[in-house]
Amino acid sequence: MLRLLLKTLPGLAAFAVVFFEASLRASPVVFAYEQLHAPKLSAGSGGDRAAAGALLFSELRCSACHADKLSLRGVPGAPAAVDLSDVGSRLSKSAIAEWLRAPSSVKPGTTMPSCFGPGEGDARSISQIAAYLASLNQRTYPAFPAGDAARGRELYYRVGCVACHAPEAPGALPSVRSVPLALGRFYAAGALAAFLQNPLETRPHGRMPAFGLSPSEAADLAEYFKQTAPKGGLAPSAADGSKISPEEVAAGRAAFVQKGCVSCHSHGGNDAAPPGPARDRLRPDAGCLSDKIPAGLPDYELDALQKVALRAFVAGPPAGAHEPLLLEQLNCLACHARDGRGGPEPSRAVYFKANDPGAESLGELGHLPPRLDAVGAKLTAGWLEKLFWKGGGSVRPYLDARMPQFGEAAGRLLTDWLLAADRNAAPAQMDVSGVQGHQRGPVGRQLVGTAGLGCVSCHGILGRKSLGPTVLQLTHATERLQPEYFKRLLLNPQATQPGTLMPPLFAGRKAAEKEVESIWTYLREAASLPLPEGLLSAGDYELKPSTAGRPVVFRSFVEGAGTHAVAVGFPEGVHLCFDARACRWKVAWKGRFLDAMNNWKERAMPPIAPLGIELRALTPAEDAPETRLRFLGYRLDPRGIPSFLYEVNGVEVEDRVEPFADGGGLTRSVRIVKGGSEMRLPSILSGELVVGREKREEALSW
Amino acid sequence: MVTLKCTSVLIPVLLCAGVVPREVSADPGHYRVVTLETPGGVDMEASGLALLPDGRLAVGLRKGEVWILDHPTAEPPLAERVGYHLFASGLHELLGLAWRDGALYATQRAEVTRLRDTDGDGSADEYLSVASGWGVSGAYHEYAYGPAFDASGNMYTSLNSSMGAKWKGAGVESVETKWRGWCMETGADGVTRPFAAGFRSPCGIGNNREGEVFVTDQQGTWFGTNPILHVRKGAFFGHAESLAFAREPGSPVVHPGKLPETMTVAEARSAVPGYTSPAVWLPYVKMGQSPTGLRFDETGGKFGPFGGQMFVGEFVYSGVNRVFLEKVGGEYQGACFPFIKELQSAVLSVNFLADGSMVVGQSNRGWNSFGNKSFGLQRIVWTGRAPFEVRQMQLLADGFRFLFTEPLASGVAPGPSDFGGQSYTYLYHSKYGSPEVGAEQLTVESVEVAADRTSVTVRCGRLREGHVHELFLPELISESGQKLLHRDAYYTLNRRVPSASR
Repeated sequence: MLRLLLKTLPGLAAFAVVFFEASLRASPVVFAYEQLHAPKLSAGSGGDRAAAGALLFSELRCSACHADKLSLRGVPGAPAAVDLSDVGSRLSKSAIAEWLRAPSSVKPGTTMPSCFGPGEGDARSISQIAAYLASLNQRTYPAFPAGDAARGRELYYRVGCVACHAPEAPGALPSVRSVPLALGRFYAAGALAAFLQNPLETRPHGRMPAFGLSPSEAADLAEYFKQTAPKGGLAPSAADGSKISPEEVAAGRAAFVQKGCVSCHSHGGNDAAPPGPARDRLRPDAGCLSDKIPAGLPDYELDALQKVALRAFVAGPPAGAHEPLLLEQLNCLACHARDGRGGPEPSRAVYFKANDPGAESLGELGHLPPRLDAVGAKLTAGWLEKLFWKGGGSVRPYLDARMPQFGEAAGRLLTDWLLAADRNAAPAQMDVSGVQGHQRGPVGRQLVGTAGLGCVSCHGILGRKSLGPTVLQLTHATERLQPEYFKRLLLNPQATQPGTLMPPLFAGRKAAEKEVESIWTYLREAASLPLPEGLLSAGDYELKPSTAGRPVVFRSFVEGAGTHAVAVGFPEGVHLCFDARACRWKVAWKGRFLDAMNNWKERAMPPIAPLGIELRALTPAEDAPETRLRFLGYRLDPRGIPSFLYEVNGVEVEDRVEPFADGGGLTRSVRIVKGGSEMRLPSILSGELVVGREKREEALSW
Repeated sequence: MVTLKCTSVLIPVLLCAGVVPREVSADPGHYRVVTLETPGGVDMEASGLALLPDGRLAVGLRKGEVWILDHPTAEPPLAERVGYHLFASGLHELLGLAWRDGALYATQRAEVTRLRDTDGDGSADEYLSVASGWGVSGAYHEYAYGPAFDASGNMYTSLNSSMGAKWKGAGVESVETKWRGWCMETGADGVTRPFAAGFRSPCGIGNNREGEVFVTDQQGTWFGTNPILHVRKGAFFGHAESLAFAREPGSPVVHPGKLPETMTVAEARSAVPGYTSPAVWLPYVKMGQSPTGLRFDETGGKFGPFGGQMFVGEFVYSGVNRVFLEKVGGEYQGACFPFIKELQSAVLSVNFLADGSMVVGQSNRGWNSFGNKSFGLQRIVWTGRAPFEVRQMQLLADGFRFLFTEPLASGVAPGPSDFGGQSYTYLYHSKYGSPEVGAEQLTVESVEVAADRTSVTVRCGRLREGHVHELFLPELISESGQKLLHRDAYYTLNRRVPSASR
């Protein structure tokens, strides 16, 4: 197997490493088991074997054939069936047959057991079932835009795929085994893109959630998977093109039912699997849990620890309130931590990034998905529904990773469970009565503004950015948060949300509770009230040398001149910018000069662009790297015109620009002050300017 | 102490005029706060404060200007009496200002600039670059702070780590982050050299009377809480980003190798080569959330009973904290105490004026603060009546000695059960901040009041190196009948006192 993969992957060494890792062990990968249970079990430190077994029992769909020992309130004992009713539109007959013959060779780590042996009877069943499934091919996929593998790769790392799937080497490989990927090898690009866009359609169980990919994103990602998938061995064979006879279809359908495939897969019929002999028996040391699996039984290729876990679960009493099972089944803890468990391990967390520099100073809060501690006491039922299946619930646009959708069935279970599990023992009182009469909204608005508690320093609202870092917008706060949580958070941030950067603004405020209620009221009414103070400001920060009547020297990040820019604006309406790192003039323009708002009002001080017209790039080339440059500063003459001083290879130069009186251009004069008698400097026109002890001039006109 | 704020229409008639001295959290009987009126139309985001030899005050603004105040101690502090003049402008995010040998030194993003007025017209006409050479990639955290000068005139500038997205439009500069997260030294020869590494956001820098340099830094990645760092050549203070340059020519820092995934600060002190832990930790939330500018009280007693101690600005709490330092085993360590909070805006810079009063410069641009004004200048003036406070908290071999600003009232005899406390440390890791870890209750075994009643010796079990020792004092009464103003004290114990001494 390994040799085959390596042979078929010329030039794809990175992926070979990943597949190599996976192919060494073919036992099924249930991600939450690998992440949360296996390390403890293998360390011999115990762990909860029965809990680990419960998760495997569910995710390997043991209850498809056996009594559902997971009779938990609200927790289903197995994922919903995978829908194969148009599988023939996606997969060729030969691919299906190959897959049925040896699932874990085709996709090491798959949870699909091997159900067929090498005998002739089994070979016939495989062929019949493959023919039947291939005949379910009435679906046509919509056309997708042409995919781009590079963009797809970027998406793979950005939106959160690597929380469960393998990142490429190089880079630290995760210690938790990754969920294997094999669709790129089987699916046509269109079918793959359709699957990636809406995996819940064929896999309604939500184990692979939907990431809200646009058609072009789905196409890009599909192309990436196609290009990096191992090639060979599974190309459609000539037989795939031949017509499948009605007899073959009927025989295959019968085998599909008889072999028990319908236990885990739907296919557009209502057939029930014939009751297996083990329906009511669960024996820790027999059947699928035997050391050597008897012929005719599904072989999951369980490893020793997985067997230990399953045996502990099977042998133990019926599972009771094993609370976090649902979170493990749906893999919530791959991205989120809760009660000190889960969250991406460091080698995966590095791919979770922020896309807004304003969020970078927030540390983990700014780039990792939020913790789920007590989330059922924090978010409303309505908001959880949006998050899990209705959509529109994401409030952290600065996170690259996307909150995916899990479908209504799984989403409802999760919503109900979280609300029940985290219910407040002693809910805080939130008095929001007397809204109009008491002017609570306007009072709250004042508190939110800069003259109040300054919430707008960090929180924007109604699409207006905050004055400072990028944290959650307040727009949906009252729809999203339970009022009691809101009150507790504001009154005692650290106790309510450990690790939050929210300062304890209400400490020592006598009317704190009433103030929180007023803010809540304002947030409910925000759309109908003016914006809070601070977000209203729209001053005029344009620098106007003509109004000043003197040249204006202004340092900033300036487009065209870099991070060491010194801009000089003249009342005559011509302006230019010196680069103090490269010691040369970079750009000149006419008309308006610069807007200082970024420097004077913004926290992040982003680069500013020349406001004027007829921009001229001056001396675009860089000096040779060995040139020794040193900016020495500038002196202002009585009229305020700066003379720039710098050293080039030890020779000190004075460089000064003055505008034409009519504003039609400018004159540059340069001379050597000390350290030499002649040298060449970049001209602002083109080429070089020979400079000596005497002033040397050149003129730039528009 | 309740601070009144004009935040609600429910209390519309409160006094909010800027020039009226406000009641603040320190007892007004000891210190009063004077809010300087600032000229209309100027956002006085005072990020740097430099006292001129003639008593005038130079104020650097974040927007890139320097203003001179002719009479910074004038009262009532009306703008026309204070006398504001624009001295320099057009600088790029000025975050520090100092006076030295006839010139002002302003630190902007890419350089320290020496400003002089050579023609005597009251505004600068010479802007000379005196320190530069660090990378500026356009990432917005790339602040530069300072300068501070040591006894022999060397100049120090502290550089924020780059942390985050560069400005791609900056071309070759967009990948230049050299010496980010370092402290730089500029010698008498005018050459700027790397000096110490491991800083995250070292936004306060200053020196004590001996010229030793101290820096404040920010809780976040690699810093479990806010530290006060004693900067020495070649030291590495923990933030990993700076290590990218530890092997560059000129680096005095020995690269410690791969940093641990997670260990405590106490463990890192021995396990990470060259790692230098802070002289003092400021426990998060308890002592504020963001320390800023620092200054030692060299007023010769004009600012009250805390001569020689460090005062540190606090952004979020809009206040000032106090730090007592002592040398144990050749290294500085000590204790921090709250001093004043609930000023009008976030404190960025701290200095002392000719009359011995403290002046603080304020701006809360981009982050939240308790004080809800956007910017300003306030003076904190000692009334001459000392507050009853712990003046010093000295480490002993088996406990601590608390030295008070006033003798205890006779008859006050606290016992061991009156004191509470715990010791804990922080995680040293790449994650953001740290909880207090490894907490252990301190058992107070005996309490002894000195014969002169000005100090109390508290002996307690198991002092631990690399841990903060947090003690809560009882409600003590002084000879003059005052209650102890701040009853919590946080001592960062890096090294224990050998049992023979003291």
